[in-house]
Formats: sequence, structure tokens, C-alpha cells
Amino acid sequence: MVAPIYIIAIALGLAFTMGLFGKQLKNIAGVLFIAGLGSLTFISGQWLWNFMVNSAATEIIYTAGFKPPFAIVLQMGFEEAVLTTMINVAGLLGALYLFPLLDKKGNNAMMVYLIFIMSTNVAVMTSDIFNLFVFTEVESIALAGLILLTGQSKAFQAGMKYLIVSGISSGLLLLGIIFAYQFSGSLTIIDMINANLWAVKASSIAAFLLIVAFIIEMKPFPANGWGIDVYTAAHPGIGAMVSAAGASASLYVFYKVMPLVNGNDWYYFIALIGAITFVGSNLVATRQENPNRLLGYSSIGQVGFLMMILGLQDVLGERTLIISFSILISHYAAKAGLFWISGILNAENIKDWSALRKNPILLFLFGAFLFALIGFPPFPSFFGKWELIMTLSQTGNYSWIVVILVASFIEGIYLFRWLGYAIKLDHAQLPAFKTPWYQLIPIMSMGLILFGMSAYLTHVFNFGPAINYIPLLFVLAIFAIDFLPAYIKNTVSIAGIAYYTYYLWPSLENDLLRQIFIGIFLGGAILTLVAGYAKKGTRAGFYPMALMMFAGLVGLIEAKSMLQFFFNWELMTAGSYFLIIRGKRSMPHAYSYILFSIAGAYAILMGFGLAYGSQLNGNLDALSQISLLPALAYSLLAVGFMTKTASLGLHIWLPGAHGEAESDVSPMVSAILLKAGVFGLILLFLSIGVDNPNATTLLYVLGWVGALTTLIGNMGAVFQEDAKRLLAYSSIGQLGYILFAFTFMTHMGWLAGFTYTINHFMFKAILFLVIGGIVVKLGTHNMYEMGGMIKKMPFSFIAVLISIIVIGGIPPLSGFAGKWLFYNAVIEKGWYFQGAIIFFAGIVAFLYLFKLIYSVFLGQLKDNHRNVKEISAWILIPSYILIIGIMIFSAFPQYILQPISDMIAPHFQSETITWTGSLATTSLGYWDATTIMIVVGTAFMLLLGWLIWLSAKAQKVEQFNIVFAAERPFRPETTHVSYNIYAGYQKALGWIVAPGITNFWNTMSTNLLEFAGWTRRIYSGSIQNYTLHVILFIVVFYLISIGGL
Amino acid sequence: MEYIILITGLALILMGLYGIMYIKNIFRIVIAFALFDTGINIVMVTIGYLRNGMAPILDKMPTEGTTPAIVDPVPQALVLTSIVIGLGVSALMLTYVLKLYEDKKSLDINSFKDLKW
Repeated sequence: MVAPIYIIAIALGLAFTMGLFGKQLKNIAGVLFIAGLGSLTFISGQWLWNFMVNSAATEIIYTAGFKPPFAIVLQMGFEEAVLTTMINVAGLLGALYLFPLLDKKGNNAMMVYLIFIMSTNVAVMTSDIFNLFVFTEVESIALAGLILLTGQSKAFQAGMKYLIVSGISSGLLLLGIIFAYQFSGSLTIIDMINANLWAVKASSIAAFLLIVAFIIEMKPFPANGWGIDVYTAAHPGIGAMVSAAGASASLYVFYKVMPLVNGNDWYYFIALIGAITFVGSNLVATRQENPNRLLGYSSIGQVGFLMMILGLQDVLGERTLIISFSILISHYAAKAGLFWISGILNAENIKDWSALRKNPILLFLFGAFLFALIGFPPFPSFFGKWELIMTLSQTGNYSWIVVILVASFIEGIYLFRWLGYAIKLDHAQLPAFKTPWYQLIPIMSMGLILFGMSAYLTHVFNFGPAINYIPLLFVLAIFAIDFLPAYIKNTVSIAGIAYYTYYLWPSLENDLLRQIFIGIFLGGAILTLVAGYAKKGTRAGFYPMALMMFAGLVGLIEAKSMLQFFFNWELMTAGSYFLIIRGKRSMPHAYSYILFSIAGAYAILMGFGLAYGSQLNGNLDALSQISLLPALAYSLLAVGFMTKTASLGLHIWLPGAHGEAESDVSPMVSAILLKAGVFGLILLFLSIGVDNPNATTLLYVLGWVGALTTLIGNMGAVFQEDAKRLLAYSSIGQLGYILFAFTFMTHMGWLAGFTYTINHFMFKAILFLVIGGIVVKLGTHNMYEMGGMIKKMPFSFIAVLISIIVIGGIPPLSGFAGKWLFYNAVIEKGWYFQGAIIFFAGIVAFLYLFKLIYSVFLGQLKDNHRNVKEISAWILIPSYILIIGIMIFSAFPQYILQPISDMIAPHFQSETITWTGSLATTSLGYWDATTIMIVVGTAFMLLLGWLIWLSAKAQKVEQFNIVFAAERPFRPETTHVSYNIYAGYQKALGWIVAPGITNFWNTMSTNLLEFAGWTRRIYSGSIQNYTLHVILFIVVFYLISIGGL
Repeated sequence: MEYIILITGLALILMGLYGIMYIKNIFRIVIAFALFDTGINIVMVTIGYLRNGMAPILDKMPTEGTTPAIVDPVPQALVLTSIVIGLGVSALMLTYVLKLYEDKKSLDINSFKDLKW
């Protein structure tokens, strides 16, 4: 074992030696520099290894063999080993990244860099407060030197601000040290802690000065303008060091000195300062467009988050360290990586990050780093946040949960905007950049550390059972073969999903609910993937993301615990985000999708937290026994699931996201993905149970929401000119029916809900597949630019016709089954008013259905479409399979509905429907699907035959016989009869769908951004203002903590 | 006597802070910072001082049973270190002033507000 003192000895020795080297020895200096950093990494790494493998005892080193206060005490324990390893690894990788720059600037630059890393190490290891002061000062001086590396005017200004404010804070620290020494008679931190300085008014000022100086070092909001400027102006390579190594060290130092004020409400104030910093920094960042400054705000926000966690350590108990570590390590790897990427791109504006598309490896790592910051699975921060929120909820600290979730959401606002720019922003010409190997390696190493730590922490937290490894490994395998042509990956994916369905099926025996949804999720996956054969090329990135979404969906089905459910919910969200953003114009829509999704996910998380806190049981069945704020918990869960079902108020992301998605993605996200929300709602309602006094109001309100969603969705569809958006609005309406039906909490209502769910899956998949295919074929989304396709695409026409018969609820197809059950349920439940709205919405649906089939298939063939052929067979095959499904479901619904009836019967008191073969009888009447099918089918065939017989004598009207054509060809589209066909209705009823809700959300986001813009004016750029902020911060903190304000 | 010194030290700290926040010339701001630093050093020495105490240098063993009034050497050692660090920081600040002046040909603090928001 190499003693930790060599960390200091090697670094200092090297630094001084290098100062003596002339220009001639430059190359040797470079080698020594890297070798020196390598040996620091080795020393701390072997200590870490020793602690982890051999569980060695903490080593305490007295320099020069004296006892304190005459010697400096260094400590190398497990925590120190972790922190110094983190610092030295970042230092080594950062040195590699910066090597050419440092090399150009000469030995002195390397010397300063070494000193920076060395002093950060000592700050972590030292147990002596004065020593801590010295090395914090050395660190500041070294950093002020490194800031100068870029040689730009802004860097000089930033460095000056940094020097002045950190000088003031170290002055305070010095005063604190001398006072504390006076009272405790020692300079070691532990003796000072044991002296209980905070307990006596006179000595509490000493404790105050010490603590406030360390808080200032961590750049609390709003007294942190001086710190942010460093991130902005320094070279990103230095920014990475400050954020990864420097911030980790300051946090650990803070953790060491915190017990100095271990009493009264001090920890509470610290947590509060952390929370304010977490929220404030993220808020201000929402307006930021400079990538480095944005990362600076985000870093400070994360440090604030960690400060808050440390402040809450009395509540979190022994989980504090592991929770903070999981957040810290995500921040560490992600920030270092992001700063380094920023250095490669060298862009002034985050919009220029679209250049990243040229380098898929960097783009992938960029995405991984952002998701790690937000706390998506499988990254360590996900587990950290989960554990944090469960523990806080268990101890009744709800307001802290709200703070964490709100701040995380605000973080999502700017991080996902940034990601969207990188993936999708249109750029006339992408700026060129070079990725040299010595810069790529550090970034990739951070990526590896991030994924490695994810695996390790999953193990430490014992979260392994929550993860469904087989699907995830399959996703990775598909990712590995991403370079192959699409049809190969398609075949592999379909085979994989089919096998997994086969593998999973036996475990779902006797669980009809999950069987239905696995049918929708995986059956749907296979069918929609078949349509993918129509696509050429490699479709880079499509299959891993699609499979990630399906893996998440399967995980929802398999979930037994809340963690498992949430893990997979996030997995599905991430996968679907990347699928949606693939569409040509999808950037803003994917952005609003992900924002609604994470807000919803946080609502679910908090709901789960309350359930966990009530039962101390992580299983999903804890949801049925929520005793902590049950009404709130159920509402949060419902809102969370409704962000996925796009219910009224939370629906504005859907039309764009579904309408602009690729032709085979639309059916995936519409027919399949929306059902995840339905599945969540069903689980929730089953847990709530009938007559739960805590949810009566909620269910009633949700019923209204469902009814109004149906109306608004259907009305919205009526006024669309874009075929895919029409279908998207129609989805909103259909999901409204489903929500409405399930809120009944009656047997009939649920039966109707299931019927609608199954129907919507089938017909919406057909419609989006076929219409999507047509849109691609014709090169337009606008229905008024289509027409006459019935002769060109007869198979598509029949598919669409059958689907709209189902939507319309016209006998004999299964839509009628839904409606019949539905009105039975409405009458039994007595929700007549809502029922009337639904009834009206049903009539409205005919308008858009007519518009769809008329504008696309009937009417006049357009000149530029004369040579169009039928859409690809690969799209028609899954559609016709689904049509067969519809036919079977229509003719023999009892084979599905009767088992469902039996399944739900135990949950509701009265049996209200009886089945005799295909004959269903309720208290209100009876219905026999098979008979109806035969009767209507026969009538239809007779009529059809009669029509054909009649048409033999009919006069054929040619296309340009304008007397009959109802539209004039070769004129602007606005004269097309289908264009704005429902102008009259719009005049009368259009107010219902005036974009009030979209406006509401727009106003909300504008106000938030305005507020952020107003807040960030405190960062005026003036050193003197920043100094004033710091002084005011100290005064206010004093008044609150000691002054008893 | 030591109270006068203590008060002087505290007054220097406040003067220094005032100077940092209100003087417009960055060169003078560095001087103000040096005042602040000196003030802190003075306070440190004063706090470690024992009235009528001797310098902490013993030339012979103290007699049995008596405790000689010796000034605590630790604060003095700390002050020495702190002075050295203060020197380093001030020198670095002056370098920055030089760089800033070369860049904008101005010593007015208000001309260095390029970084904001």
C-alpha cells in the first residue's frame, strides 16, 4: 500500500520540479505530468480497492510524526478513498482532454493543474480545519490560474470575480477558525465538533462563520453569480474539473464540517438553502442558451440538491450517504462528459449542438448524460431519487418531495429542449467540428463510469429484482446490430417479441387483465413492426428505441412492486420519446410529450411515495391501503396516468406527437402506448375499489373529465385538414370514452371500458397504418390535396371503411357492442348529463369519419396522383389481420367479454349482465351479436347486390363532368369542397375547441420563462453586486440561524 | 490595549468590505481586499494574545507548580501562514488587474460586465 501522503508528495514534488524545467525539457514534463496524475489515481484507487475488497480499517496519518495541533492529520477512510479516486480519475481524464492546450501553454500550466488536483485531494483527506483552509485557498489560486488558460477577456473578468468573492469567504473562514480554536483549543475538526460550539451563544458565532464560509464555497442561490461566470468563461475542460472534481470535494468537505452545527434547526436551514439553490438555479437556467453557462447553472443546482440531502440527514438516517452518492456520481460523470462535449463543439448557443448529429457516439453519450441528470433509469440518480422520495414520504416530509420534484421538472424543461435541438433542430448547415481521440476517450470513459456505476448501484440498492433483464439485454443486442439493414433487425425484433410473448404467457395464466394488455402491447408490437418491412435503409436507432418502449410496456405488465412499475414506466417514456422525435417536424411535439410525461411520472412517484409511506410495503397492492393523504395520493396517480391517456387538460401534446410521427410509429404510440395509461388507470381503480370514501369525488370529477375529453377530442378532429392529426384527435376522444367508462366503477361500465380499449387498439392501429402509408405515398398530410383513392387503393379503402364503422358504433361491428354496453352503463349509473355529452360527441364523430373517408377515397383524383399505386403490402397485412380480429370480436364477442365479465364481477357488487351464448341480457334489454351480424350482413349483401345490379344501367360520370363533381379541379385548394367542410359547425360550435387549454399551458410556460428572465437579472455581471449578494446572504443566514428571526 | 487592536482589526475588515463593494477602480479594490485581509490577521493575533503573556519561547524549564503566562503560539503560526496566502492572493489579483487593464484599457469596474444572466 502506498501511503496517501504520497498524493501530496508526488504532486507537489512534480510541480516544483517542473517549474525548474526549461523549454528544452518540455516533452519530459508532459510525460511526467500524465504519469504523476496516473500515480495519484493509482494510489487512491488501490486504497479504494483495499477498502472494498479487504475491508481495511481507516488510516490516519500524522505528518512528521507529531500530534496535532503541531502536525497535520490526514485521514484515508472509505469515503475519502471514493472521493479522491473520483477526483483523480477526473483529473487524469481531464488532463488527457486538455493535454494539447496545457502543452502549448507550457510547464507552468501543467504545474497549476497538478496543484489544483492535489489541493482538492488534500481538502478531502485532511482532518485539520486550518489545513483545510490552506488547501481551499491553494485550490482557489490554482483555479484562478487555470481560468486564464483561454486567454479571453471574459475569462479575466470571471477569474477576478471568483478571486474576490472566494477571498472574502476564506477571510470569514479564517475568522471562524480562530474563534473556534479559542473555544475548543484544537484545530482538528473532530475536536471542534465535540466542543459543541453551536450550543453557546458566544461560540455559536464561530460555528456560524465556519459553516457559512463553506456554504458560500458551494455557491448558494442567489449569491452565486461569481461562480457561474467561472463555468461560463473558463475552458470547458476546466469547467468539467470544477463541476466534477471541485464540487464533489466541496460537498464532501461540507459533509465533514456539518456536525459543527449539529443542533437546533441548523440542518433544516442548510436543507432549505440547498432547496432554494436547487429550484432557483434550475429556474434561471431555463432561459439560458449558452451551453457552458447552462451547465454551470445545472451544476450549482445539483450541488444545491445534494446540500439539501445532507441537510436532511437526520430524516434520511443511514441512507443519506448512499443516496447522495448515487446523485453525486451521476452528476460527476454527466457533467464532466457534457463539459467535454461542449469543448469539442465550441458552440456559443445550444442550438448549434445540432451538429452533434454528425457523431452518433457523442450524440448517444449526450443523451445518456442528460437522462442521468434528470434521473431516468437505469442511471444511479434514478435509484437515488426513488430511495430519497420513499424515505421522505415514510417520514412525512411531503413538502421536501414537492420541492425535489418541481426542481427536477424545471431541470427537464431546459435539458430536454437542449436534447431536442441536438437531435432534430433544422440547420441550414451543421457547423463542422473535430473529435480527436484524446478528447473522445475521456468522454467515453465517463460514459462507461456512468453505466458501470448504474450496474453497481443497482446491486448495492438491491434493485436488481425490479429490472426485467431479458428484454433489456435484447434491446442492447439490437443496439449492437444497429448497422444492419432494417429488414434484418425487423425480423430479429419480431422473432424476439414473439418468443418473449410465448415465454411470458404461462406466467399470466388466470390473469385475464394482464393477458388482454400483453395481447395489446406485444401483439400490437408484432403487427406494427411488420409494417416496418416497408421501410428501406438501416433506420439507425429506430429498433433499440422501439424495443425499449415495448420492454417498458412488458415490464408494466410484469411489475409486482411499485419500483418495478415506475422503472418500466420511465423506460417506456424514454423509448417512446425517441420514437416520437424521429418524425420530420416532431421536435416541439416530442418536447411537449416528454414534459407532460415527466410531470406525470413525478405525480405517480409522489403517489407511490404516499402509498409506500402508508404501508411500508413496496408492492403494488400497497396502493389499495393508502392511509397518508389518500385523496391526494389517488388524485396524483390518476393525473400521472392521464398524462399518458391524454385526457382533457393534459392532451395538448398528443395531436402533434402522433400526427407528425413516422408512419409506423403513429400506430405504435397511438394504438399501443396510450393503453399503458389505461392499464395504469385500471390498476389504480382496482386498488381504489368501489365506494372508497377517499375517491368518490375524484371518480366523479374524472367522469366529467372523460366525458368532456370525448367531446373536445371529437370536435377537434372535425376541424382538422391534416389526416393524421384528425386521427390523433380521434384518439383523444376515444380515450375519453375509456376513462369515462372506467370511472363508473360498475360492472357494465368496466365491460364497456374494456370493449372500447380493445376496439380502439384494433381500429386505430389499422387507421394509422393505412392513413400513414397513404400520407407517405401521396406526400401530403392535407386531406384536401387527396381524393379519389378508392380506385387506386381499394384495399386501403376497405380497411378504413371497416375501421370507421367500428368507431361509429354502427351494427354489426364491435363498435356497436361498445356503445350498447356503454348506454346500458350510463342509464344504470344515472350519469345522464355526462351521458348526453357523450351521446352528442358520438354524433360529432360521424362528421370527422365522413370527412376522412370522403376526402381521401372519394371525391376527385388529383392530377399528380394519377400514377399512384396501392400502399405497401407490408402495411396491409397487419391491417387485415386486425380486420379479421375485428370481425371475430364483432361476431362472437362473448368469447372475450364473458371472461372479462367473470373477471370483474367479484370487484362489483351486482351481476348485471348474463350471457347465454352470444346473447347478452341486462336489466334494460338484450343483444345478440351473432344474430345481428347475420341479419345486418345479409341485408348488406342484398343491398350491395341490388346496387351492383342497378349500376349496370347507370351513366358513368367522368371526372371532369363538373356538374356532378362538387368541386373544381385545377383551382386553389381552398375551393375544394372538403376544405373547411364544416365551416358552419365551426361557426356555431367552434368555441368549444378554441385552443383554450393550449393557451393556458402556453401562458403558464411563458410566465415561467418570464419569471426566470426576471430572476436572472440579479446576475448583473457586476463584481460589486455579487459581493453584496454574498454579504446579504451571510447577514440573512445569520439573522435566521442565530438571530432567531 | 488589545481591545483597541481588536477594534482596529474589525474596522479594517469593514473598511475593506466597503471598499470592495463601493470603489470603482479595480486597482483600489485590490488594496481594499488587502485591508480586509490585514484586518483579519490583526483580529487573529489579538484573539490569541494573553494579557501580559510572554512570547512562547522557553529558555529554561518552568519551576514546578507554576504555569508561566505564555501566549498561545498556534494563532501566531496561523497568522504567518495566512499572511503568506494573502500575499499570494493579492499578487494573483494584481496580475488579473493587469490583464483586465491590457484588455480594455480601463480600470473602471463597470467596464467588466460582459458576463451576465
